Amino acid sequence: MSQRGFRTAKRRYHYLFWPLMGVYTVLVFATSFLVDTNTAPTWLKITSALAVTLPLFGVLYAMRRQTEETDEYTRMRQLQAMRDGGLITAACAFLVGFLQIFEVLDVISVFWFGPLFFITYGLSFCTQNFGKVV
Amino acid sequence: MKNILKILRTEKGWSQAALAEKLDVSRQSINAIETGKYDPSLPLAFAVARLFGRPIEEIFDDEVELAHAAE
Repeated sequence: MSQRGFRTAKRRYHYLFWPLMGVYTVLVFATSFLVDTNTAPTWLKITSALAVTLPLFGVLYAMRRQTEETDEYTRMRQLQAMRDGGLITAACAFLVGFLQIFEVLDVISVFWFGPLFFITYGLSFCTQNFGKVV
Repeated sequence: MKNILKILRTEKGWSQAALAEKLDVSRQSINAIETGKYDPSLPLAFAVARLFGRPIEEIFDDEVELAHAAE
Protein backbone atom coordinates (compact mmCIF):
# COMPACT_ATOMS: atom_id res chain seq x y z
CA MET A 1 0.00 0.00 0.00
CA SER A 2 1.37 3.42 -0.95
CA GLN A 3 -0.18 6.15 1.14
CA ARG A 4 0.36 9.60 -0.37
CA GLY A 5 -1.82 11.72 1.87
CA PHE A 6 -5.34 13.07 1.64
CA ARG A 7 -4.75 16.00 -0.71
CA THR A 8 -2.53 14.20 -3.23
CA ALA A 9 -4.87 11.21 -3.32
CA LYS A 10 -7.89 13.48 -3.83
CA ARG A 11 -6.16 15.41 -6.61
CA ARG A 12 -5.01 12.27 -8.41
CA TYR A 13 -8.52 10.81 -8.11
CA HIS A 14 -10.17 13.88 -9.65
CA TYR A 15 -7.58 14.06 -12.46
CA LEU A 16 -8.57 10.55 -13.48
CA PHE A 17 -12.27 10.50 -12.56
CA TRP A 18 -13.60 13.56 -14.43
CA PRO A 19 -11.95 12.95 -17.84
CA LEU A 20 -13.10 9.32 -17.70
CA MET A 21 -16.65 10.35 -16.84
CA GLY A 22 -16.54 12.83 -19.73
CA VAL A 23 -15.46 10.08 -22.13
CA TYR A 24 -18.13 7.77 -20.67
CA THR A 25 -20.88 10.35 -21.19
CA VAL A 26 -19.82 11.00 -24.79
CA LEU A 27 -19.66 7.25 -25.53
CA VAL A 28 -23.07 6.59 -23.98
CA PHE A 29 -24.66 9.24 -26.19
CA ALA A 30 -22.65 8.24 -29.27
CA THR A 31 -23.44 4.53 -29.01
CA SER A 32 -27.10 5.17 -28.25
CA PHE A 33 -27.36 7.14 -31.50
CA LEU A 34 -25.13 4.90 -33.61
CA VAL A 35 -26.17 1.42 -32.51
CA ASP A 36 -29.62 0.28 -33.47
CA THR A 37 -30.18 -2.81 -31.34
CA ASN A 38 -32.52 -4.31 -33.93
CA THR A 39 -30.27 -4.00 -36.96
CA ALA A 40 -26.67 -3.56 -35.74
CA PRO A 41 -24.34 -6.54 -36.19
CA THR A 42 -23.23 -8.40 -33.05
CA TRP A 43 -19.59 -7.30 -33.40
CA LEU A 44 -20.71 -3.65 -33.28
CA LYS A 45 -22.87 -4.26 -30.22
CA ILE A 46 -19.99 -6.00 -28.41
CA THR A 47 -17.51 -3.30 -29.40
CA SER A 48 -19.90 -0.58 -28.26
CA ALA A 49 -20.56 -2.31 -24.93
CA LEU A 50 -16.81 -2.70 -24.33
CA ALA A 51 -16.10 0.90 -25.34
CA VAL A 52 -18.70 2.25 -22.92
CA THR A 53 -17.54 -0.03 -20.12
CA LEU A 54 -13.81 0.72 -20.40
CA PRO A 55 -14.03 4.23 -18.86
CA LEU A 56 -16.02 2.71 -15.99
CA PHE A 57 -13.21 0.21 -15.40
CA GLY A 58 -10.93 3.26 -15.24
CA VAL A 59 -13.19 4.87 -12.65
CA LEU A 60 -13.14 1.69 -10.57
CA TYR A 61 -9.33 1.74 -10.78
CA ALA A 62 -9.34 5.38 -9.65
CA MET A 63 -11.51 4.43 -6.67
CA ARG A 64 -9.18 1.59 -5.76
CA ARG A 65 -6.10 3.80 -6.08
CA GLN A 66 -7.61 6.57 -3.99
CA THR A 67 -8.54 4.08 -1.29
CA GLU A 68 -4.89 3.01 -1.16
CA GLU A 69 -3.41 6.48 -1.27
CA THR A 70 -5.65 8.56 0.98
CA ASP A 71 -5.29 9.04 4.73
CA GLU A 72 -6.19 6.20 7.06
CA TYR A 73 -9.48 7.56 8.44
CA THR A 74 -10.85 8.41 4.99
CA ARG A 75 -9.77 4.95 3.80
CA MET A 76 -11.63 3.33 6.68
CA ARG A 77 -14.80 5.31 5.89
CA GLN A 78 -14.58 4.49 2.19
CA LEU A 79 -14.06 0.79 2.83
CA GLN A 80 -17.01 0.74 5.24
CA ALA A 81 -19.16 2.41 2.57
CA MET A 82 -17.97 -0.06 -0.09
CA ARG A 83 -18.76 -2.91 2.31
CA ASP A 84 -22.30 -1.58 2.83
CA GLY A 85 -22.80 -0.95 -0.88
CA GLY A 86 -21.47 -4.39 -1.79
CA LEU A 87 -23.56 -6.23 0.78
CA ILE A 88 -26.78 -4.38 -0.06
CA THR A 89 -26.20 -4.96 -3.78
CA ALA A 90 -25.51 -8.67 -3.19
CA ALA A 91 -28.62 -8.96 -1.03
CA CYS A 92 -30.74 -7.29 -3.71
CA ALA A 93 -29.22 -9.53 -6.40
CA PHE A 94 -30.17 -12.63 -4.40
CA LEU A 95 -33.67 -11.33 -3.69
CA VAL A 96 -34.34 -10.38 -7.30
CA GLY A 97 -32.81 -13.68 -8.46
CA PHE A 98 -35.09 -15.77 -6.26
CA LEU A 99 -38.13 -13.66 -7.16
CA GLN A 100 -37.34 -14.42 -10.80
CA ILE A 101 -36.83 -18.14 -10.11
CA PHE A 102 -40.26 -18.26 -8.43
CA GLU A 103 -41.64 -16.28 -11.37
CA VAL A 104 -42.84 -13.36 -9.26
CA LEU A 105 -40.71 -10.92 -11.25
CA ASP A 106 -40.05 -10.70 -14.94
CA VAL A 107 -36.50 -10.23 -16.16
CA ILE A 108 -34.82 -7.16 -14.67
CA SER A 109 -31.73 -5.81 -16.41
CA VAL A 110 -28.52 -6.75 -14.58
CA PHE A 111 -27.26 -3.30 -15.58
CA TRP A 112 -29.09 -1.70 -12.65
CA PHE A 113 -26.99 -3.47 -10.03
CA GLY A 114 -24.04 -1.24 -10.95
CA PRO A 115 -25.86 2.02 -10.20
CA LEU A 116 -27.40 0.37 -7.12
CA PHE A 117 -23.90 -0.31 -5.76
CA PHE A 118 -22.74 3.26 -6.38
CA ILE A 119 -25.91 4.77 -4.87
CA THR A 120 -25.74 2.63 -1.72
CA TYR A 121 -21.98 3.23 -1.47
CA GLY A 122 -22.52 6.98 -1.70
CA LEU A 123 -25.42 7.00 0.74
CA SER A 124 -23.48 4.92 3.24
CA PHE A 125 -20.45 7.21 2.98
CA CYS A 126 -22.58 10.34 3.46
CA THR A 127 -24.65 8.99 6.34
CA GLN A 128 -21.83 7.49 8.44
CA ASN A 129 -21.65 10.67 10.48
CA PHE A 130 -25.32 11.56 10.17
CA GLY A 131 -26.52 13.50 13.19
CA LYS A 132 -22.99 14.04 14.49
CA VAL A 133 -20.94 17.23 14.31
CA VAL A 134 -18.11 16.54 11.88
CA MET B 1 -8.35 6.60 23.58
CA LYS B 2 -8.41 10.00 25.23
CA ASN B 3 -6.21 12.76 23.89
CA ILE B 4 -5.45 16.46 24.27
CA LEU B 5 -5.28 17.19 20.56
CA LYS B 6 -8.07 19.77 20.70
CA ILE B 7 -6.35 21.65 23.53
CA LEU B 8 -3.01 21.67 21.70
CA ARG B 9 -4.67 22.77 18.48
CA THR B 10 -6.59 25.64 20.05
CA GLU B 11 -3.45 26.75 21.91
CA LYS B 12 -1.83 27.20 18.52
CA GLY B 13 -4.93 28.98 17.21
CA TRP B 14 -5.38 26.46 14.41
CA SER B 15 -8.69 25.33 13.00
CA GLN B 16 -9.37 21.65 12.38
CA ALA B 17 -8.91 22.29 8.67
CA ALA B 18 -5.52 23.97 9.26
CA LEU B 19 -4.28 21.07 11.37
CA ALA B 20 -5.61 18.60 8.81
CA GLU B 21 -3.66 20.39 6.10
CA LYS B 22 -0.44 20.27 8.14
CA LEU B 23 -0.86 16.52 8.69
CA ASP B 24 -2.20 15.90 5.16
CA VAL B 25 -5.34 14.19 6.39
CA SER B 26 -9.02 15.10 6.03
CA ARG B 27 -10.67 17.53 8.45
CA GLN B 28 -13.04 14.73 9.43
CA SER B 29 -9.99 12.73 10.56
CA ILE B 30 -8.99 15.46 13.01
CA ASN B 31 -12.54 15.70 14.33
CA ALA B 32 -12.78 11.93 14.75
CA ILE B 33 -9.47 11.81 16.66
CA GLU B 34 -10.36 14.77 18.87
CA THR B 35 -13.71 13.29 19.81
CA GLY B 36 -12.18 9.88 20.51
CA LYS B 37 -14.19 8.27 17.74
CA TYR B 38 -11.06 7.14 15.95
CA ASP B 39 -7.62 6.14 17.23
CA PRO B 40 -4.81 7.16 14.88
CA SER B 41 -2.20 4.70 13.64
CA LEU B 42 1.33 4.90 15.04
CA PRO B 43 2.72 6.83 12.03
CA LEU B 44 -0.05 9.45 12.36
CA ALA B 45 0.36 9.63 16.14
CA PHE B 46 4.10 10.19 15.63
CA ALA B 47 3.36 12.90 13.07
CA VAL B 48 1.03 14.63 15.56
CA ALA B 49 3.67 14.36 18.30
CA ARG B 50 6.37 15.79 16.03
CA LEU B 51 4.12 18.66 14.95
CA PHE B 52 3.44 19.73 18.53
CA GLY B 53 6.93 18.86 19.79
CA ARG B 54 5.67 16.56 22.53
CA PRO B 55 5.99 12.85 23.27
CA ILE B 56 3.12 10.65 22.08
CA GLU B 57 2.13 9.56 25.60
CA GLU B 58 1.67 13.19 26.58
CA ILE B 59 -0.89 13.67 23.80
CA PHE B 60 -2.61 10.26 23.76
CA ASP B 61 -3.72 8.50 26.92
CA ASP B 62 -4.65 4.83 26.73
CA GLU B 63 -5.03 4.30 30.50
CA VAL B 64 -8.79 3.76 30.23
CA GLU B 65 -8.34 1.04 27.60
CA LEU B 66 -5.48 -0.57 29.51
CA ALA B 67 -7.67 -0.73 32.62
CA HIS B 68 -10.37 -2.51 30.60
CA ALA B 69 -7.80 -4.93 29.19
CA ALA B 70 -6.51 -5.77 32.67
CA GLU B 71 -10.00 -6.65 33.95
